[in-house]
Formats: sequence, structure tokens, C-alpha cells
Amino acid sequence: MATGLRSVTERAGDGSGRPVFDGDNGEELMHVQPGVSIVLGNRSPESPGTLYISTKQVVWLSDADRAKGYAVDFVSVSLHAVSRDPEAYPSPCIYSQIETGAEDDDSDGSDSEGDDSLNLSKISEMRLVPSDPNQLETLFGIFCECAELNPDPIEEEEGEHNWVFSADQLEDEAPEDDDSEWAVPRNSIGVNGNHDLANSVVQLQINDQRFEDAEEMEQDDKNGHN
Amino acid sequence: MLFFSYFKDLVGREVTVELKNDLAIRGTLHSVDQYLNIKLENTRVVDQDKYPHMLSVRNCFIRGSVVRYVQLPSDGVDVELLHDATRREARGS
Repeated sequence: MATGLRSVTERAGDGSGRPVFDGDNGEELMHVQPGVSIVLGNRSPESPGTLYISTKQVVWLSDADRAKGYAVDFVSVSLHAVSRDPEAYPSPCIYSQIETGAEDDDSDGSDSEGDDSLNLSKISEMRLVPSDPNQLETLFGIFCECAELNPDPIEEEEGEHNWVFSADQLEDEAPEDDDSEWAVPRNSIGVNGNHDLANSVVQLQINDQRFEDAEEMEQDDKNGHN
Repeated sequence: MLFFSYFKDLVGREVTVELKNDLAIRGTLHSVDQYLNIKLENTRVVDQDKYPHMLSVRNCFIRGSVVRYVQLPSDGVDVELLHDATRREARGS
């Protein structure tokens, strides 16, 4: 799946003039809305056209030019809304923002000289203007349904999340043996490759005479030298 | 599911949603789903310079994956409750 808006030049060969959908992978047509004009970025509206909404994408096909069409996957639609404010746009429409994956939103391909100079992948705003404004709520609802069908694919992390929220959490997660005097961590520090640092630490303790049991040391009488 | 449950309790409150593209939208929280997709009502754009065309739209659906922050009413946040809930969720997962 591509991010952003893309051009659609192919139509179904059955003469229906519909877009090609990937039925084998479960893509279904949800809604067809004729009489819709499309506005990309700051460009002039393009019409007449028909809107096809599938479970995976939104496709607009020109009625006049059978090689012209645009499509965007729902995973790339960041938000959509019903726009009725005439100051925002003269005609009531579905306003949507498209994730382009680009940082720079200044160049939205608003060159209206023709498709050759239009960079669809940079289009970040799209308006769909139905000839019948009463259809807006229906269209909005279908956009919502389809957006919900297209959550971001989740990459499963292996193992537990090792998030630390507070020092308390660290205390709780490292229960000590009551026997050992030394706080050797249960999870060995840096067992890494061939270096067994945990054992190295233990050995260090044994070798240091200061930590040997008192009985094992040569004891002088408390009162004085021998 | 923690924040899904949490946001469900905030339905009807005014929130400001800041998107990853820096757009900030204020509105009444209408609903939220398990993916944290957010529907707002009576939305208006907080900073009109970036997206002047958007201005005010009646209803708005925001994809959960593009949300950076959700700014909440301060009396809608019980910090202790959230703190405990997130710690429980972290341990349980």
C-alpha cells in the first residue's frame, strides 16, 4: 500500500467503468456516489466524476476522461470532516487530510497547469464535493466506517515491554534471596557474550579478605598481642 | 485498552487534539474507539495559519495513529487513578 494520493488510470474490464478492487484480499465496494467533484490541494475542482468507496480506499474516477482518476488508501487519511463553512470552502463538502509522509507541506502540487506537473504524492488536502449536499452525512459516516476497518498494522514486539515507570517498580521486580548478604542481582548484570560478569562479581567478593567470616581469620586475643 | 476506557469517560468534554503534523483541533469529544480514533463535534482549528481552509467543521474524525497529544480539561484528569492504572497495566502486560 502506498502512502498518499495516487493516480488511477485503470478501470475494470467489464465495461462498468469501475475501479479495479482486490477482491481476493477481501476488498469490497462499500458505496458509489455519482456526481462528485474532487478538489486536490489548492487546485480547481475537477468534475464530473464518481466516487467509489471500498473497504480499503477511496477512488474518484472522472466521468469525462476514462484515463483519469485518483485514489488514496484509508490508512493514509489522517482526518476527514463535513465542511459546511462557506468561508472555508464555498460548497459543502467532505474535507480530508492525507498523510504524505513528507515533512514539508508547502508544496502541495497546486500547479493547475496540468497533471504532468502535479505531484500527487504531495497532496495533503482533498475535498469531495457532492452535487447533492444531503449526501454529506452519509459519506462522512462511510468514511468513518472504513477508517475503522483500516487500523495501522501492529508490529508485535517480542517479549514484554521493558518500560520502567518508577524506582518502586525496580524494587518490586527484583526479589532477593534472604540468605545472601550481598545484593547480587537476580538478572545478571551484563551477561553478554562470553563474559560472565555475575560470576566475576561473586569471585571478587570471595577474594577480598575484608569480607571473610571473622572465625576464619587468625584471631589475636582481644587483650593484646601474643 | 486503558486509554480507550479513559477517553470513553471523557465523552462530552472539550478537548484539544494535536496531530503529528502540528495541527491542533479543539472540539467536543463525541466518541473514541479501540484504536483511539477520535470523533469530535463542533470542531475548530486552534492555529489557523497552518490549515486555514479547515476553519470550522461540524464533525470530524481523526485517525488514532496521527494523534500526537490530546489536551484534556484539568478536572477531567485524576492523576492518582491514572498513575495506578498505568502501573497495573504495565505489570500485567
